[in-house]
Amino acid sequence: MMRIMAIAALLFGGAGAGAGAGAGAPPAPQGEPEAYLFYVASESEDEVTLLRFTVGEGLTIEKVIPVGVLPAEIEGPHGVYVDPDGLHWYLTLGHGFPFGSLWKYETGSDTAVGRIELGLFPSTVSVPPVGGLAFAVNSNFYGDPEPSTISIIDLASMIEIERTETCTMPHGSRFSPDGLRHYSTCMLDDMLVELDVATLDVARRLDLSPPSGSGAGAVCSPTWAMPASSGEYVYVACNKSHELLEVRVEDWVITWRIPAPTAPYNIALTPDDEKIVVTQKGSAEVSVWRRSTGERIALIPSARKVTHGVVVSPDGRYAFVTVEGIGGERGAVDVIDLLDLRRVATIDVGKQAGGIAFWKVVS
Amino acid sequence: MPIRNCLITLGLLGLLPLALAAQTPVRIELSSATLSAAVGDRVQLTAQVFDADGNQLDVTVRFYSSARRDFPISRDGVLQPARGGEFVAFVRVNTARNVRDSLVFNIDFPPVREVSMAPTGERFFVGATVRHQSTVIDASGAVRNDVPVTWSTSDPGVASVDRFGRLTAHREGMVTLSARAEDVSASHRYRVVANPIATLSLTMGQDSARTGDVLHATAVALDARGQRVEDAPITYTLVSNAADSVVGQYPPAEVDQQGLFVAQNAGEYTIMAITPGHVAQQTVLITNRFVTQEVQFIGHAAVRDVKTSDLWIWEGIDGRDYAVTGTHGANGTAYFWDVTDPSNPEMIDSIVVDARTVNDVKVSEDGRVAVISREGASNRRNGLLVLDVTNPRDVKIHAEFDDGLTGGVHNVFIYDDHIYAINNGRRFDVINIEDPKNPHRVGRFELDTPGHGIHDVWVVDGIAYTSNWADGVVLVDVGNGIKGGSPSNPVEIARYSDFDGATHAAFPYKSPTGRFYIIMGDERGGARFDGLQSGTPGLMAGYMHFVDFTDPLHPVEVARYEVPEAGSHNMWIEDDKLYAAFYQGGLRVVDISGELKGNLYLQGREIARYMAYDPEGFVPNSPMTWGPQPYKGNLFFAEFYSGLWAVKLQPRVKLTQ
Repeated sequence: MMRIMAIAALLFGGAGAGAGAGAGAPPAPQGEPEAYLFYVASESEDEVTLLRFTVGEGLTIEKVIPVGVLPAEIEGPHGVYVDPDGLHWYLTLGHGFPFGSLWKYETGSDTAVGRIELGLFPSTVSVPPVGGLAFAVNSNFYGDPEPSTISIIDLASMIEIERTETCTMPHGSRFSPDGLRHYSTCMLDDMLVELDVATLDVARRLDLSPPSGSGAGAVCSPTWAMPASSGEYVYVACNKSHELLEVRVEDWVITWRIPAPTAPYNIALTPDDEKIVVTQKGSAEVSVWRRSTGERIALIPSARKVTHGVVVSPDGRYAFVTVEGIGGERGAVDVIDLLDLRRVATIDVGKQAGGIAFWKVVS
Repeated sequence: MPIRNCLITLGLLGLLPLALAAQTPVRIELSSATLSAAVGDRVQLTAQVFDADGNQLDVTVRFYSSARRDFPISRDGVLQPARGGEFVAFVRVNTARNVRDSLVFNIDFPPVREVSMAPTGERFFVGATVRHQSTVIDASGAVRNDVPVTWSTSDPGVASVDRFGRLTAHREGMVTLSARAEDVSASHRYRVVANPIATLSLTMGQDSARTGDVLHATAVALDARGQRVEDAPITYTLVSNAADSVVGQYPPAEVDQQGLFVAQNAGEYTIMAITPGHVAQQTVLITNRFVTQEVQFIGHAAVRDVKTSDLWIWEGIDGRDYAVTGTHGANGTAYFWDVTDPSNPEMIDSIVVDARTVNDVKVSEDGRVAVISREGASNRRNGLLVLDVTNPRDVKIHAEFDDGLTGGVHNVFIYDDHIYAINNGRRFDVINIEDPKNPHRVGRFELDTPGHGIHDVWVVDGIAYTSNWADGVVLVDVGNGIKGGSPSNPVEIARYSDFDGATHAAFPYKSPTGRFYIIMGDERGGARFDGLQSGTPGLMAGYMHFVDFTDPLHPVEVARYEVPEAGSHNMWIEDDKLYAAFYQGGLRVVDISGELKGNLYLQGREIARYMAYDPEGFVPNSPMTWGPQPYKGNLFFAEFYSGLWAVKLQPRVKLTQ
C-alpha cells in the first residue's frame, strides 16, 4: 500500500506569523526585536516586496519579487499570507483567463513552488494556525453580482478540496485563533459568514445591515472580518456605512456598532486584543481603537490616499500599513508605533500596495 | 455496481462530531479494501485518527481527491471513479497540524466499446498499400490512444496488413481487414482487383516558383482505355535538393497528401506521385522569394517615464493627422499627438483618468469620438470613457461609462456608432454612442463554454472577430446580416480554436486568391530567468495562426508565422502585407500574398523588421512592440518601453551588379 506522506511542517521557533496578525500569531522570539520582515503585494505592479523594518533605523526593501506569467498584462497580486510555519507564503493573483490563481512560494528564496487556478478574482487568502489549508475568497469584484465561493486548498498537494458557496463578493477573511472557524464578509450581501473548518460548511450567517438600513444594495458593505485573539469576538469593517462592528461569537450578535472615519477597510488587533487598528480607505488614515471601551485613541494620516491593508507585529508594538495611491502614484508602506500612536516610517513600493503579510521578527 | 469495501471505522459519514477534543490528533491512516477499481465501482474509504498515545480518536475527517471530476470522492469517503488511470485519494483532519494521509489508486479503464477505421472503400488494387487509421472509444465515451490495436486480414495471401494498419494487396480476391482492441473489433471487406492503372501523370501547374508559393500537384491515373481511375490510391512525396544543404536545417519543403507543395528553401525539388506500379514525377525550381525592403526611420514620439499600450491614428475633421496612445501599469494617461508630419510628432494634449492602465484606444470612423478603456481605478469602478476629439488639441470627456463595466475594460472597438467593450474578460458589451454624451448598453455577447474568457474584439463589415483564449476565434454577426445579427442581438457565425488555445488577437484577411483567412495571434508568457527584476525587458512567447475560413463551417489551420524566441501581439493587414508586433522580436512586415501554407517565417516571406531601440526608454534599448497601424504610407507602431514610432517601407531596390 503506497502512501504519500504529507510534508512535515516545522514550527518556526519564535518566528512566522499569518498576515493580518492577531489571531493565531505565534509568540515573538526571545530578546529585544531588532527588525521585522513582511511581504507586500502591489496589485497594479505585479510584484511583491519583502520589506524590513529595523527598529531605530526605518524601512528598507529587502527584495522585489516579480509575480505572474505575462510581463505585458497586469495579473493583479492581491492577497498574501505567510504560512504559520514560516516556510512558505501564498499569493492570490486576481486576473487570469478569466480565473485567478493561488501561488505558493518558499520564504527566503521566494521561488514559486506551486500554483492552482481558483475562481473569479480571488482576493483575501489566509491559513489556519495549524497550517495545511488555505482559504481564498473568490471575490469576483467585477462580475455579475451573484453568489460566489471560498476555495479551500490543501497546501501540501495544492489541490482544491472544496469551493464553499457563501455570498456575493466575499472578502476580508481570517481564522479564529483555534483554527476551528473561518470568518469572511460579504460586500454586497451585508453578511458575516462563519465556516466550520472541520466540515468546510457554512456554520452561521449574520446580517450586518444597520438597523435603519434598508432598500436595494448593500448598506454596510463589510470588507473585513478579524477575530480577536481571545476568540470571543470578531471585528468587522462596514466600508459603506463607515462603522466598526463587534460581533460576539458565542451568541452571534452585534455587541457594538460605532461610527468610524470614512470607509474603514481592513482590521488588525494587537495580540492582547487591547488595540484595534483599522485602515480608513476613504480618508487615507489609520484609526486605532481601545477595544475594551470602543474609544478611538488615534487617527493617523497615511502617506498618501487609499489606505488598504494592515498587519500588527506579534509583539503588538507596530502596525504595518499598505497604501495604494491613485493612478500613477507609487504605493507605500507606513509603520505606526502603537505605543506612541504615530507614523514612524514610510517607504514607497509598487503601485496599488494592498495585501500585507507578516513573516518574522529578527532579534 | 459492487461495493468493494463497506468497512467504516469512523461512522457512515466522515463528518463526525468532535467527541474527544482534549486529545490532539497526530496521525491519520487512510485505508481501503482495494487499491484498484473499475469505472463505476463504489469503494468505501475509511480513516482512523490517533493521538500521540496511539488512542483512536473520534474526529471529523475530510476525504478528497487528486482529480475531482475523474476520481470523485464523496465527503463520507465513497469513491466512484469516472475515468481510468492513476489517482490519489486523500484524507485529512482539517483542524489538526499535518494530520493527513493518502493512497494511490489504479483505476481500470472501461472496456472498449467501439472501434472504427478509415479510410474505407469498395475495391483495393493489387500492389497498392494504404495506411488505415483506427479510433478506439471506451465505455465511458473517451477516445483511447493507449489501447493496443491488432490488425489482421482474413486472407494474407490476398492482402496483408502490418502493425501500423498499412494494408497491401497481393492478388485478386475478397479480403476482410480487421482492427481489434480488447474484445471489440471493426472490419471492412475489400474486393481486391487487378490494378487497372495503365498510366499515371503528374502536373504542377508551373515548373518554377518562389519560396512560400503553394503549388498544386495533380496526379491523374488512367486505365488502358484512357478512363480516369477515380479511386486510385495516390501517395505524394518529394526529393529535395535544396541550395542550402547545411545539416540541421528544417525540412526544406513539404508536400501534403492533397498534393499541396511549398518550399522554404531555394533549390530543386522533385515531387512524386506514387500509385501501384507507377511513379510520376515533376521537378520544380524554387528560387528565393526576395521580398525584403529597407525600413526608414521617420519619427519618434517618445514616452519614456511610463509604458505605452495601444495606438490609433486617424485623420481629424480638420484634415490633419492625429494619434492617440494609451499607457500601461502607469498613471491612467492617454496622449494625443499631431502626426501630420510624422517625422516631427507633436504632443498636443493628454487626458488623465483614475486608472493605472489605459490599455486600448480607438477613434470613430468620422474622427469625432474616441473611446479609452480603464483598468486599475482606485475605486474599482473601471469602465470606459467616451471622448470628444473633434479638436484633438483640446480633448473633452463626453461621458464616463461604467454601468455593468466595473471590471477592467481591456479592449474596445468603435464601429457604426457603437462601442464594443471587453467586459471583465468574460464577454463583450455593445454600447450605443449615437449620442456620445449618453452612452447606453444595447447588447452583449458571452460564450457558454466552461471557464470561457475573452480578450479582444475587432469589427469589420458587421462581423465581430473575437479572441477568446482557449475558445479561439469566434465570429459574431453584429450587423452583417449573415445570421440576422445586430448590435442589440449579436449572433454567433462560426468559431475555431487552435491547438495551443491562447488566442489573444484576431484579424480577418480577404486574400485576392479568393480565400478568406483569419489570423489568430497567441499571447503567452516567455521564459523567465532567475534574477529577472524590474528594469529588465519582459519576455513573451506565442505565434500567429493562419486559419482558412473560406468555408466558415469548416475552418482549416494552414500556416503559421512564428518568430523564434519572441511572442506575438497585435497585428494589422493591408495590401497583402501583415504588420505584426512581436514584443521583444520587434515589428515585422510579412508578405502574405498568394495561397498560404506552412511556416511563413521560414519561407523568406519577411519583408522587413524594425527593432526600436531607445537608449533612454523605460527599459533602455529594449524593443517591446505592442501594435502597428499602417497609415497614409507610413507605418506607426506603439512600443511598450518608448512610445509611438513611425517608419516607412522603402521601395524595393534591385542592385545593379
